[in-house]
Amino acid sequence: MGRNWVGLAAAAVALSTLAACGLGGPETSSAPAASASGEVKGKVSLQTWALKPKFTDYVQGVIDSFEKKYPGVEVQWLDQPGDGYSEKVLTQASGGSLPDVTNLPPDFALPLVKNGLLVDVAAADPKVAEDYVPGGVEGYRYAGFDGVYGYPWYLNTDVNYWNTELLTKNGLDPEALPTDLDGLIAQAKVMKERSGGKAYLMSRKPTLIDLTNAGVQVMAPDGKSFTFNTPEAAAILDKYRDAFKQGLMPRDVLTTKYAGNTALFNSRTVAWTTAGGNYITSLATDNPSLAPKVVPSPAFGTPPLYVQGLSIPKSTKNLPAAIALARWVTNAENQAAFAHLVNIFPSTKASASDPFFSQSDGTHSGDAKVIAFTSLAKAKILQPVQVTQAMSDFVDQQFALAISGDESSQKALDDAVAKCDQLLNG
Amino acid sequence: MTHKRWFTPWVLIAPAAVWLVVFSALPAVNTVILSFTDAKPLGGGGFVGLDNYTRMLDDRQLVDALVNSIVYMAVCLPLLTFLPLLLAVLVEKRLRGITFFRIAFYTPVIASAVVVGLIWGWLLDDRGLVNGMAERLGFLSGPLPFLTDRWLLLFSAISLTVWKGLGYYMVIYMSALGNVNRELHEAAAVDGAGRVRRFVSVTVPGVRNTMLLISVLIAVFGLRVFSELYILSNGTGGPGGRDMSLVMLIQMYGQGLTGQLGYASALSVLLFVVTVGPMLVLMRLNRKGA
Repeated sequence: MGRNWVGLAAAAVALSTLAACGLGGPETSSAPAASASGEVKGKVSLQTWALKPKFTDYVQGVIDSFEKKYPGVEVQWLDQPGDGYSEKVLTQASGGSLPDVTNLPPDFALPLVKNGLLVDVAAADPKVAEDYVPGGVEGYRYAGFDGVYGYPWYLNTDVNYWNTELLTKNGLDPEALPTDLDGLIAQAKVMKERSGGKAYLMSRKPTLIDLTNAGVQVMAPDGKSFTFNTPEAAAILDKYRDAFKQGLMPRDVLTTKYAGNTALFNSRTVAWTTAGGNYITSLATDNPSLAPKVVPSPAFGTPPLYVQGLSIPKSTKNLPAAIALARWVTNAENQAAFAHLVNIFPSTKASASDPFFSQSDGTHSGDAKVIAFTSLAKAKILQPVQVTQAMSDFVDQQFALAISGDESSQKALDDAVAKCDQLLNG
Repeated sequence: MTHKRWFTPWVLIAPAAVWLVVFSALPAVNTVILSFTDAKPLGGGGFVGLDNYTRMLDDRQLVDALVNSIVYMAVCLPLLTFLPLLLAVLVEKRLRGITFFRIAFYTPVIASAVVVGLIWGWLLDDRGLVNGMAERLGFLSGPLPFLTDRWLLLFSAISLTVWKGLGYYMVIYMSALGNVNRELHEAAAVDGAGRVRRFVSVTVPGVRNTMLLISVLIAVFGLRVFSELYILSNGTGGPGGRDMSLVMLIQMYGQGLTGQLGYASALSVLLFVVTVGPMLVLMRLNRKGA
């Protein structure tokens, strides 16, 4: 092998270092929205997020009934896989090929709103605020932008879940579950002592949601800067740091992301987790021996509100059909049918009186559904939609440094705020 | 039959040349251009001069990522340059059952990096096999935080890379060893050289160019490490994000609908420059030795 070949190979590898990290170009501008008035006919596309194959029959049924109601319309349904959805939406938005009706949670919709890519559905359809619950509609209103940029679809919130077997085995009473952080820490001490440090109650680091719940204002009202580096926030982190130091939570919490607490719960390392109203039903399939031992209770403080919705891009060529389809998919009847299949909750005001959601069938899963439904009445979006994945990652890292004692809580918060501001305005 | 048309060689290299230009050269140039802008996936793109580069001076995570990438390279380079050579020399022998060892050493290469990373994660977890065995045998009183301590996590990832790479480089060395003149070994043996002396004075010079190529590949790979650190840290970059590599940092800034493509591109340019450094050193060594 000659040295020239070595040189060539080296050069190729070096070039790939740069090219492999190469990134796409900037956006393309959007066309103005088509007219909202007009007959509902022609082709219209609908994009959902990870609903196939589990809910294929349901979605297809909704589409079939829409096509039956509007005989001249043809719906093209695309379902995107769960992973990489934001990248898929980004590609579509950059190329001006977003489907006419696209499932976008509020944080995905925001960057598109900032670039003028989405239709203000409140302007095109003034009854939005009347027909949907305020929390859902608020999810699609953004500081600095007039209007509503999506039809609220299904809602969910967090419920506390407890492993009763671990609790009773370690001297704790499943009938006297903690209702706040201090209660959690107190019972976590009992569990540590009784289990000899083999089992834990606490299962995660704090998040921005916990700070909001403790009364900390995470972001300035104008949405232009972050404000969570307060002494109150530092006091919350200090509580977690002390708990970590006392061995009340596994070291894994330093390197677990969102849903990491559920993984620890599933492995029976910890006795508490938070998850959506559907958790026990999923657990019955994924971990059938654990599911019967799990009981739900309301989330600590104000429950977080998670919203899914359908947005319409300005690039749509068929706005009347897009609005009609988005309304059809999110109407009370279709949402209720969806919610009967899985523990999610309708965003329509008309569904509030449906006894299906307010009465348990006596199972723990049914109790969780009722707790979640009841919680929705006071649930709020607790993490500003301006928080991006990079911000979330950095905040998570700083909180890990604080609770491990590698940084003071105040320094970690100051660094997190500085970085979030830089990412927000950079 | 002979072909003497002037364009024949151009036609032959055209597919590779087009591929190189479209998928390597143009994206590389685009990355350099983006690094001087405030580009985002759905906006920006205005010229910001050296802002993205001056911002690096203030980025504490970048310092950690650089240190991690350099340590990764510095440890992997000697281990993956010499250990596979020793393995290749061993499995080259025609012994009964040697095929089993050849396959065993090569098996990690064909396994997916993600799958292997997950398995190592389970092994090294606080409640994993390694800690469990060590505690049961009385070597440890409590679990070693392989995955939750900055340096232990980094070296766990390095161990994974070395374990997974041994077989790959061993095979490259085996083909190079086939080209080493056996008569030289025999002549050295006749002159009284022992095994070690023959290895140092005959085998190593015989595979010198291969060794250099492997060094370059490992240096570049070490600086560009991603999968091992990402999987072992659950994508968090370790406690406090202090185990991020440069590529992880680029991914963090560049991903999603709100990615900062300008800064991520500037980091990519930095990675390129950092990668070229050790390569030039190795090339120089090669020239000196030629």
